[in-house]
Amino acid sequence: MDKRSILAVALAGVAGILIGPVFAQEVKQEAKSISGKAKISSVSQDQLNKADTNANNFLLTNGNYAQTRFHPARQIGRNNVKNLHVAWIFQTEVKESLETSPIVINGIMYVTTSFSHVYALDAKTGAEIWHYKHKMGPVTTYCCGPNNRGVQVLGDLVYLATLDAKLVALNAKTGDVVWQSDIADPELGYSETMAPTVIKDKVLIGTNGGEYGIRGFLKAYDAKTGKLLWTFNTVPESSVGVWATKDATGRDMHRDIQVEKDQLAKTGDPYQKLGGGVWQNPAIDLATNRLYFVVGNPSPDLDGSNRPGDNLYTDSLVSIDLETGKYVCHLQYIAHDVWDLDAVSPPVLVDVKGKDGKIIPGVIHAGKTGHIYVHDRKDCSLIRFSQAMVPQENMWVLPTKEGARMLPGANGGVEWSPIATDPGQGLAYAINLHQPMTYHVENSPYPNGKLWLGGAFKVIPGEAQAGNITAVDYNTGKIKWQVKTPQPMIGGILATAGGLVFTGEGNGKFAAYDSSSGKELWNFRAGAGVNAPPSTYMVDGKQYVVVGAGGNTQVDFRRGNNIIAFSLN
Amino acid sequence: MSGKLSACIFGIVGFLIVLTITATSLSAQSIEEKTQVCAGCHGQNGKPVDKTIPVIWGQQQGYLYIQLRDFKRGDRKNDSMQPIVSSMERADMLAIAEYFSKKPWPDLGQPRAPKEVANRALRANASVGCTGCHLDQFQGDGTVPRLAGMSRDYMTKTISDFRSRARGNNPGMSDLMLATAPDDLAALTEYLAGL
Repeated sequence: MDKRSILAVALAGVAGILIGPVFAQEVKQEAKSISGKAKISSVSQDQLNKADTNANNFLLTNGNYAQTRFHPARQIGRNNVKNLHVAWIFQTEVKESLETSPIVINGIMYVTTSFSHVYALDAKTGAEIWHYKHKMGPVTTYCCGPNNRGVQVLGDLVYLATLDAKLVALNAKTGDVVWQSDIADPELGYSETMAPTVIKDKVLIGTNGGEYGIRGFLKAYDAKTGKLLWTFNTVPESSVGVWATKDATGRDMHRDIQVEKDQLAKTGDPYQKLGGGVWQNPAIDLATNRLYFVVGNPSPDLDGSNRPGDNLYTDSLVSIDLETGKYVCHLQYIAHDVWDLDAVSPPVLVDVKGKDGKIIPGVIHAGKTGHIYVHDRKDCSLIRFSQAMVPQENMWVLPTKEGARMLPGANGGVEWSPIATDPGQGLAYAINLHQPMTYHVENSPYPNGKLWLGGAFKVIPGEAQAGNITAVDYNTGKIKWQVKTPQPMIGGILATAGGLVFTGEGNGKFAAYDSSSGKELWNFRAGAGVNAPPSTYMVDGKQYVVVGAGGNTQVDFRRGNNIIAFSLN
Repeated sequence: MSGKLSACIFGIVGFLIVLTITATSLSAQSIEEKTQVCAGCHGQNGKPVDKTIPVIWGQQQGYLYIQLRDFKRGDRKNDSMQPIVSSMERADMLAIAEYFSKKPWPDLGQPRAPKEVANRALRANASVGCTGCHLDQFQGDGTVPRLAGMSRDYMTKTISDFRSRARGNNPGMSDLMLATAPDDLAALTEYLAGL
């Protein structure tokens, strides 16, 4: 190009820039109906309240409001699970990380995919009824994959939270948008991958963003209108806490409290950009109207120098009131975390043995540390913690510039993967990762909504990785059985009244195990990573088990786009 | 400085001169006309005129928008880009970003990395987790850029700028680059350029 033409180009460019706003954002949604034959029925609050006893449906992301992931269907049992075969496979449009929890309502299944798509399917045949493809805004800022973990239905509305931080209500019959609300600004690092939880007149939603210097929250929206009802900030204005030097298990975390206090005097409480995402659904105690959820890591992940104090309520179990969003109690597992070994897997409400041996309402959570923590539901206090489910070494060595080796690696232990329980056996089932890592620290100022790790966690090349499925007696904290797997496990697990647990692996294996012994009874090779929580349900008297096989971004397991349902002959 | 690069800079200077003398509304301009100035450096056909200049054709809209925003804010420094974006509003940036994101990604004709280099790059990725954000096949999404097929020299320069923090608008990337061995980064650059 010669100089004259460059000048002409420049002139044209000026014309463009002086023109002002040149395009209006069009929010166009797409939903199409293909078969429309299956009858879509609405869901009442009463049905949701009793989801734990409903063998035909899988009504909530984790089975029921207590999040037990224990399903009463028992047609598929230990004696016949070997005859399980593929009933149907549905291929989604999106071949990318698949973390969806299928929910099923009277023969209709709702699944989601990466990039916030929703499908309504005939749960008996896998036929598509409608497909909602969210028109994503231009700015998305998210960690760990463009995932979506599911929807919830109440009445005639299907609720979805999207990667660009919007809450969307869809018409359950058509997939059309009924209302849409902005949850937070994606340009500041907020995004959504969790399924909403809907109860009564409220839609509850947390947020991702602990890797971007957000201020985390759990919000409640009006289920009919999308109007914000209340916000609970997961980081209070006074986030300093009690200067805890030990973690919840009593191990020294090597904090230099005086240095932190000096920093606090200099820069003040760091609450505004302290992270504290809520990645997974709250459990709800219907008797007390209280929510129980866990809060993720502080920002930046590995550098604690600019965030003095305990960084409340990061890395904590928190309970708040459903009606008001007001704080009730919390327990922090790791104060001033600099390893991203935070709290992500959804808590579960079960009755547990208290410290005095009496059965009391409890809440349990599986941590990235590899422990299952057992709490008193009344005041969040810790009753016990389990034996470590994964190797722990060198805890809590502080990250260094060169990298300090410590186990578990930053993915856990138990990542976001929901656990399952079998209250009859007093067992909790968790899937774990074992990824040896080095923890590196760097210091940098808040980057305006950009990635803010404060260092890096690196998988150590050449060191063996593995995973396991572990059954823990939550009344004693002892491991009852453990099945080792060749790769780290991420996705989720399901327990059934048929005496089974179902879970999948990154290599595509999906298997059923005896829930009492861990003996493998059946398996299937899906061809892509099975890194999503399974569900089960019944249609016309036949039980199905369904799971997504689409791999995983975070641990880089082979991608696919399959929703696979299994049944007996 | 290469001849093409000097021509690119000359074009920007010309653009700035025009910018200062043009005060009337130019609302009739199409997006193609508005983005003509970009071609001076980023290429008429999407192939940048200099190898240290990034490909913007087919790049992610969110990423392009954020870079324009950061040039304007001064969070990302570049003597050529900052004057160009100084008068842009958010809507301009989004529109320009969308325009280029819909263009086809150009084939720069860079060779595929030899097997041993590719293996080293993949090991480095498994350790640091590049695809955790840049996604499968390094295609990027949203505010995370596509790296597959990006100019090797641009990536080399960018990594160097991240490591020295000369590029300051993504300290998280600086942290990750500093935690990765230079030989691994060189392998990643060669591997990504050839995708």
